[in-house]
Order: sequence, then C-alpha cells, then structure tokens
Amino acid sequence: MKVTRVFQLTTLALVLVSAVQVGWWLLDQHAYTVEKVSAARAAYVAQTAAAQALLDSGSSAQRVQQLLPGIRISAGRAALAPELARSLTTEERRRANQYAWEGGFFLLALALCIAMIARALRAERQVYEEQDSFLALVSHQFKTPLASLQLSLETLALRSPPPPVARTLIDRMLADIARMELMVTQILESARLERGRVDFKSEPLQLAGAVARVVAQLEERSRAERIEFVSDIGPELHIASDALALDVVVRNVLENALAAVRSAGGGSIALSARAANDEVELSVRDSGVGFQPADGARLFEKFTRLHGAGHYGTGLGLFIVHRMMQLGQGRVRAHSEGVGRGACFVLTWPAAQVPRS
Amino acid sequence: MSLPVSAATHVLVVEDDPHLAAGVMENLRAEGYEVTSAGDGRQALAWLTEHACTLIVLDVMLPGVDGFALCRTLREQGNSTPVLFLTARGDPADRVRGLEAGGDDYLAKPFHLQEFLLRVRAIVRRWEWYRSASATAATAVLRFGGNEVDFRAFRARAWNGESQELTEKEAMILKVLAEHAGQIVSREDLLERVWGYDVFPSTRTVDNFILRLRKRFEKDPANPRHFLTVWGVGYRFLSEGEA
Repeated sequence: MKVTRVFQLTTLALVLVSAVQVGWWLLDQHAYTVEKVSAARAAYVAQTAAAQALLDSGSSAQRVQQLLPGIRISAGRAALAPELARSLTTEERRRANQYAWEGGFFLLALALCIAMIARALRAERQVYEEQDSFLALVSHQFKTPLASLQLSLETLALRSPPPPVARTLIDRMLADIARMELMVTQILESARLERGRVDFKSEPLQLAGAVARVVAQLEERSRAERIEFVSDIGPELHIASDALALDVVVRNVLENALAAVRSAGGGSIALSARAANDEVELSVRDSGVGFQPADGARLFEKFTRLHGAGHYGTGLGLFIVHRMMQLGQGRVRAHSEGVGRGACFVLTWPAAQVPRS
Repeated sequence: MSLPVSAATHVLVVEDDPHLAAGVMENLRAEGYEVTSAGDGRQALAWLTEHACTLIVLDVMLPGVDGFALCRTLREQGNSTPVLFLTARGDPADRVRGLEAGGDDYLAKPFHLQEFLLRVRAIVRRWEWYRSASATAATAVLRFGGNEVDFRAFRARAWNGESQELTEKEAMILKVLAEHAGQIVSREDLLERVWGYDVFPSTRTVDNFILRLRKRFEKDPANPRHFLTVWGVGYRFLSEGEA
C-alpha cells in the first residue's frame, strides 16, 4: 500500500474515532447535567419538607428562614424560592444549549473532514481504475504490431525468401515500427493533455501556411496510395492558436482522413476555409469510408476506432484533436452521411487580428 | 520445412490487422495450406455459410463481432470446424473463455511462427485422423449396450431411445476409446489425441468428459459397464459391457 493511502486511511480512522468520541462526550455531558439538576431539585424538595416540619413543630418562620435561606414562608407554608426554581431551569437549558452548539460544531467539522477524505479516496480509486484500463488497452494496441514484427522476422529467418519477398517483409516491418512510434507519440501527447500539463500560446498564425506544411509531409505517402489533396485556403485567414498545437491537430485530422480514404481504396481529401463571426473554419472533406451518423459523438472518445479492418489507428488521434481544440478555445465537429459516403471534419478557431503590412 | 499437408486442407484466417493477416497467410501457404482471409466477423460468417474449411485461425479483438462471439455463433449453428484463437490478451481467464466458447487452441500475440505452425498442424492432424477414422460405414457408427453413435453427424441414440447431440470433444474421446476397445487408455493419451499437448492445465478435464459420456450412455452412471476407470492410470472402454 502506498504511503499516501496509509496516511489517508489513518486520518479517516482518526476522524471517525473523534466523531464517535465527541458524540459520546455530548451524551455523557447531557446525562451529567440532567443528573445534577435533578439532584439539586431533590435537595430543595428535602429542604422544603424540612422547613415545613420545623414550622409544624412550632419553630418561628424567622428562625426557619435563617436556617434555610432558599425557602420562602408565607401563611405558614414552606416553598422553594421562585428565583431559585427559575435559576435551576435556566441553568439546565443553558448547559443543554452549550453542548448542542459545541458538539454540533465539532461534529459538523468532523463530518466535513470525513466527506473530504472519502472524496479524495474515491477520486484516487477512479484514477487507478482509469490507469489500469488505459494500460490494458495500450498494451493490447502494442501487441498487434509487435506480433506482426515478430512474424516477419521469423519468416525471414525460417524461409530465407528471395530478395523481392524479403523486401516486402522489411517494408512491412518498417511500417510496423513507424506505427509503434506514432502510438508512443500519441500516447504521450494524450497523457499530457489529460493531466492538463500543456502550455498553449495564443498567437496569430496563417492557416494556409500551417496546413500546407503538414500536407507537404503527407503528400509523398498519399500519392503512392492514390489519394489526392485539394487545398483552397485563402492566405489572408489568420487564427489565434498555438503553432505546435495547430500542427498536431491538422496532422491528426489529415491522418484520419488518409486512413478513411485508404480503406475506401483511394480518393481525395479537400481542404477549404472561411471566416465567420470572428472565427475561422477549416473544413476537411474526404471521400473515405465515412461513419454512421450516430457514431459522430463517439468519434472523439479515447480508443474509438470506427474504421475497423485494415486501419492502423491507435484510437487516440481524434481524442487528441478534440482535447487540443478544447484547450485552445477552438471546436471540432465531424459529420458523415453514412458508411461509404465520406466524412467532413470542421475545425473552428478564434480569428486573429493581423495588422496589414 | 516439413511434410506437405493433404491437398484439401483449407484454412480461414480471420484477422483485422492487414500485416499480421498477410504474414500468417503467406506462411500457411508456404506450408501447403489453401488460405482464405476475412477482415472481420461478418465477412467470416458470410464466407462460412457457403464454404467449408479445415481450420479457422480467429483473432479475438475484431471490429464488430468479436472472435469469442463468432465462435459461439458457429457452434450454435452446428458448425464444428476447429478454431485456433489468436489474441493480444494471454491471461489464463481469457484462455478459458476461448475454450469455453468452443475454441480448440489458443495462442497469445506475439507468438512464435514455428509454434503457430505446429499448433495448426496438430489441430489439422487430429481432425484428419477423426475424419479418416470415421470415413467408412463400419467406422462411422459405433454400437454398444443398446447405444448407437454416429461419428459423422455427431449424433447418438441412447439405450433409452433418447437422441443425443455430441460435442466434437465427446465424439473424439469416444472415438479414441472405441479404437482401443478393451485396452487401457491413459488420461494423458486422451488429452494429447483430443486436445493437443498443453491446452488444458489438467487431466481433470478428461475425467469430466468421461462423466458426461457415462451420463449419456450408461444405464447406471454410478456403476459403469462400458466406460471403466482404471485407478491411477486411465480408462478402458468395453463395447460388450462388463459382466
């Protein structure tokens, strides 16, 4: 067990014991007061009886009054002085009130402590559970490319294939390694995003330039897969965002579009942008496999993979996009008319004011 | 690397990862198997309604219908094609789930190519033995003590007239015992002939299957006359019944 957990549990036990102790103390004090007050009452009753007996035996009222100052005598009858009777009742009430307030305050403070500790414990357990399921999923994601790598290597070792076949196996292994590298990057990125440990700057950025840089990096691969990029983004559009975040977001959305188009056996990805209401919208429309409109909400959740067969995704790409857009005051939404009918992703950022130069 | 397998041995590979699927298929082809691939459960089910194969290599984590569910569906439809599961989760609980779903063997990713090929070969051999051992009219049907077992249809009629559906494991155990009628067959032999070497952790499994066979075919399962226990060794099958 972790030290923090031992500490939390010990504190919780202490607080609980204190609460029980305060409760018991309250009851005890109350019982004590009741006992003392009734003992005083009994004593006064005895005094009154004694005074009456003295009067009845012929003692003068004055003498009796001297002996028992708490007794009032009128018309030969002895009775307890009314202010004394009153003060007894007042004292009893005062004490009861004191205990109620003091005890109530203590108990309330302790209850707050218990609630806070219980909440911390619950939150911690949730974190552990999330970490466990995250680890299970991540290790599963890694085992498939690892299995593929091992299979290719063992095939090379077992069969000593001719160079062209060996080349295919080597390409496959390189792709598997690239896949794992992408996974590591995405997992680290999403872990950082989840802990909120990111520092987003907000600087004016030219959208067309940023998108063109990512497209240039992806184009070599996309051409080989018969996927065409068509880009129409006005050079005047500037957004307020973080340069690094913009790069990651655009790259992930385009990677996703590439995978969707690849699964459909080739096609195109069209990029366009427009300014509207102090915002800039970038639309990425692909002719890929699309998705059920009902799946649109699930798309940005962690580990959602809708492309299924033949797709290498980690299920983290769009989750990263969504979180980054959220943290950078932007939005992302996705739309598809159904499986096989392409998809459109729309990214929205606040527009940046750029002085004309 | 090894002896060629018989010409008609067809393997269906159900795996959603294209690299892994390609690697597995190329190696199976190199061993002389005919191979077909399916990228998900639906494709596999569609293919299996029109075709038959000797073995299904089945990934567990598939998009849509998962491998366990697919295997259960097949068994419910009466398809007894052996299944070798491939999965990224290799813990014992998962193994048991796979075998409960009706799988014949289970391999965790990443796996060794040679081990994979050996296991495929072992399953194919077991089934080839079973098929050839039940191929003729004389060997396809077993009669004992008023029971009649049809090994090809996995069906039986018990002494009391009840008709019984046998699982493939029950049929295989019965086949091994009947082939060695009168002789002692050890639990280990039964395990190896019916399951392969290390699928189940213990020989207790065999005992459970013998109990099931007694319930199906013995007039008094508590005092068996056909499926006899040889203490400390294994079992002996008597078709005439013990006097």
